[in-house]
Amino acid sequence: MAQINWAETIWLLGPEVILTVGALVVLVVDFVRDDDRGPLLPGLTLITLGGAFLLSFTYLGLDRTALFMFEVDNLTSFFRILATGTSVLILLVSVDYVRSRSRHAGEFYSLLLWVTLAVILVAASSDLILLYLSFELLSITSYILVGWLRDEARSNEAAIKYLLYGAISSAVMLYGMSLLYGAAGSTRLEDIARTFSDPAVRVGTLDELVLPAVVLMLAGFGFKTSLVPFHQWAPDAYEGAPTPVTAFLSVGSKAAGFAVLIRVFLTALPMFQVDWAAVLVAFSILTMTLGNLVALVQTNMKRLLAYSSVAQAGYILMGLAAYVATDTSTLNGIAGVLLYLVAYLFTNLGAFIAVIAYEQATGSVSIADYAGMVRRAPWLAGALVVFFLSLAGIPPTAGFVGKLAVFGAAINAQLYYLAVIGVVNSVISVYYYFNVVRQMFFMPPPAEGEEPVRYPQAMGLALTVSLVGTLLIGIYPQPFLDLANVGRQFLAMLPFA
Amino acid sequence: MTAEQVVFVLAAVVTLGSALGMVTTRSVFVGALWMIAVFGGVAALFILLGAGFLGIVQILVYIGAIAVLILFAIMLTPRVMGDPNAPRYNRQWPLVAVMASALASLLVALVLRTDWPLAQEGAPTITGFAVELGKGFMTTYILPFEVASVLLLVALIGAIVIAREE
Amino acid sequence: MGTADFVEIVVKSLVIIWALLTGFAYMTWFERRVIARLQSRVGPNRVGPSGLLQPLADGVKLMFKEDIVPAEADRALYLLAPLVAVVPAIMAFAIVPVGPSVTLFGRTIPLHLADMNIALLYFLGLGSLGVYGVVLAGWASNNKYALLGGLRASAQMISYELAMGLAVLSVVMLAGSLSLVDIVNAQAGGRWFILLQPVAFLIFLVTMIAETKRAPFDLPEAEQELVAGFHTEYSGMKFALFFMGEYIAMIAISGVAVSLFLGGWRGPFAEQVPILGVLYFFVKLVAFLFFFVWLRATLPRLRYDRLMHLGWKVLLPLSLANVVVTALAVVARDTGFFGLW
Repeated sequence: MAQINWAETIWLLGPEVILTVGALVVLVVDFVRDDDRGPLLPGLTLITLGGAFLLSFTYLGLDRTALFMFEVDNLTSFFRILATGTSVLILLVSVDYVRSRSRHAGEFYSLLLWVTLAVILVAASSDLILLYLSFELLSITSYILVGWLRDEARSNEAAIKYLLYGAISSAVMLYGMSLLYGAAGSTRLEDIARTFSDPAVRVGTLDELVLPAVVLMLAGFGFKTSLVPFHQWAPDAYEGAPTPVTAFLSVGSKAAGFAVLIRVFLTALPMFQVDWAAVLVAFSILTMTLGNLVALVQTNMKRLLAYSSVAQAGYILMGLAAYVATDTSTLNGIAGVLLYLVAYLFTNLGAFIAVIAYEQATGSVSIADYAGMVRRAPWLAGALVVFFLSLAGIPPTAGFVGKLAVFGAAINAQLYYLAVIGVVNSVISVYYYFNVVRQMFFMPPPAEGEEPVRYPQAMGLALTVSLVGTLLIGIYPQPFLDLANVGRQFLAMLPFA
Repeated sequence: MTAEQVVFVLAAVVTLGSALGMVTTRSVFVGALWMIAVFGGVAALFILLGAGFLGIVQILVYIGAIAVLILFAIMLTPRVMGDPNAPRYNRQWPLVAVMASALASLLVALVLRTDWPLAQEGAPTITGFAVELGKGFMTTYILPFEVASVLLLVALIGAIVIAREE
Repeated sequence: MGTADFVEIVVKSLVIIWALLTGFAYMTWFERRVIARLQSRVGPNRVGPSGLLQPLADGVKLMFKEDIVPAEADRALYLLAPLVAVVPAIMAFAIVPVGPSVTLFGRTIPLHLADMNIALLYFLGLGSLGVYGVVLAGWASNNKYALLGGLRASAQMISYELAMGLAVLSVVMLAGSLSLVDIVNAQAGGRWFILLQPVAFLIFLVTMIAETKRAPFDLPEAEQELVAGFHTEYSGMKFALFFMGEYIAMIAISGVAVSLFLGGWRGPFAEQVPILGVLYFFVKLVAFLFFFVWLRATLPRLRYDRLMHLGWKVLLPLSLANVVVTALAVVARDTGFFGLW
């Protein structure tokens, strides 16, 4: 019977322990103090997230396994930093939003902490059982958060659609997982890799089930990353959810999906790369093309950003599809995926923060109501332009660097047509991003509502951080490139890669 | 056929037939009853596989608690109870049928074609199954166990926030 | 499995079913007589000596009653419901040991039908199946009183099942087994678990009444508000089957309670003279059954919100706390913590 060294385990799981304890403390404090409006609950949540964020940096370079199935390696460290950082920004923008729209502030903050925990768990699982449970934790927490505004029909509709899609896709994903389990007789990713790489075990037609298993599992992973055709929930859920939650779905939950893709495919099935890479290329092309084309006709800002984020998932997937194991340069696809995720975090969160600030002031998320925004909120409009530049991939912004990395990886892997399709798609996307810019700058504002838009300091801080991040990656990407490369280094430690 | 195979076929027929009954019935209440039969069939399969403990827990938790709550919720919802003339299928059923049969034939083909590795002689026996299960939860599988408890807590909080009367 | 074993199982099953049916019949007589005495009445005393043939007369009467199925009822489910109410109750008794092993015709025969290593789970599982009889009856009758009865029953079962399971768990932790035979053996020498687990015993006592839907927890058939609750529309033998299910469930659950807390068949010289063991078991069982009747004659019915309050806010936390304390005590015992003192 395996022995557990508890002191060491608690240290290895430091950020997760902090998040769990913090979430429980927030719940209890909320229960005892019954003060939904004060600064106490957001303060506690911020301390928890900040602590977990800072602690996450101390694990860089480690390669350990906690409790038999939680990998404490660089990939996990990367996603720990990404997840906690995302949630800090989300927290900053949700304080005002939650205060004005919900009576359950304490529960909201504790769920925010748990959803962060879920993202980390998903990224770190090296066992299908833990992976599935973490996936469900992430999903269920997200369903609840999407339906948080219980008195709004749109929020309810979003939650029920998200739930139905999610339940089906996770069921299909389980089919895929069960195929791998049946072949390997074990749920550990390492054992699955060993089964398929050992010629003595790998008998007969066992190989033939890998491709179906990959496709079936992609239904679940693609649901989280909103890959076409598993993206249909995204526009409705994004539109109906409380906007801070939408921001989280588009960044945190999507990052978790990519973490799983990287972890499962590269740890368990590296020898079948020819198969899954081809599947991923197809998904990538479909996703970015459809996302961009449908985004062209949107009139609602949240739906526009939803389709935009579908398209972005297509670009990110390109990096994984173009991954070449022998390539150790910085244009290795995995580093591209990770770098793109960081760039996307700042950019997309920034765009959502601007949308939230404007929504809080005007009560509208319709693109038509952005007319004349520059006169009412010049800073907000300016920041939104930078974020749109970045989403479209125009220098000197983070989006440009991210796209450079994944397109470069595609060219390195001699997937020239994939890179060309990516570029064409980027050009298409400029059209709808700049349609909004045109509204903001060149259309006359409606007669009433000339007063300037005000937003709380916390939101201004979050906006500034996103803006600085977006520009910094664009101008001086080196530290972020380093971080992405550190995250990639877990590959070198894989036994069967 | 051995006795075991006969029991297996019976359990499988009950499970699949009830599942079919569940999705084709017009009444939500009757559908829930068919689902209970599905749970029973699955419990029988568990027992047949030597996991008697899991089988009984399946009955206790799914039939005894979850399904009762589902029936409770259905009986409390007059609009669900009150429309016996609701259409049985929506317009998309042919599409769904095609997709479902495609998935089914894929899985069946895979199961039949693949040379599955079979359990060796001397594989873990089922005596003391519950004991091993309990030990597993406290050692190798402690992390999934804890994650499951967090998941249930989150679901509980969510249910209260979303459903509670203000 | 040899032919002899097979015969043994069949004979034992038949004996159990016969005993339960007889027990049911005389339980109705017993209840009417005791309640009458508690209410200063006489009770049935005309059919046979002291009214002992009354159950037979009742049975004959019910048999010849007209059997009515309401026109708007869901016929299949309406017919199924009484069976679902009875069968699990009968099956539950299989795990109860009523005495030590006896030697008959050169065979050593243990006085229980099945010694499963998951016996108590089996018992709890059957208990949760029993509620379906009520729910199905309530729904299939297509009658609002019946439906309300079914609703109440399902809510009540769920609410009290948890506390009951946890109370049983405390005993299981002490005995280290889910088998009732092992649990009875662990109580040898007068170490009845009622002494070690008084809290669990009280919780079990309350929940077993709620699980059998007996007064003061008989809300599913509360006659003042719901006519007769879930069996409003039932008549004749189907009505009798519901009755049978309720009474057999009382007997079975009492048998389990005796085995869990009162040492089962154990008592002075029971091991040497097996028939004494059966006698002890019977006396303890009757004590529990008397308790059921006594409560019915004494306590008024709970209000619905008090019922939920008691289940979720009193019994459940209490039983959880009891499990935690028991777990600590068991760990302390197994690690020799007490020995340090």
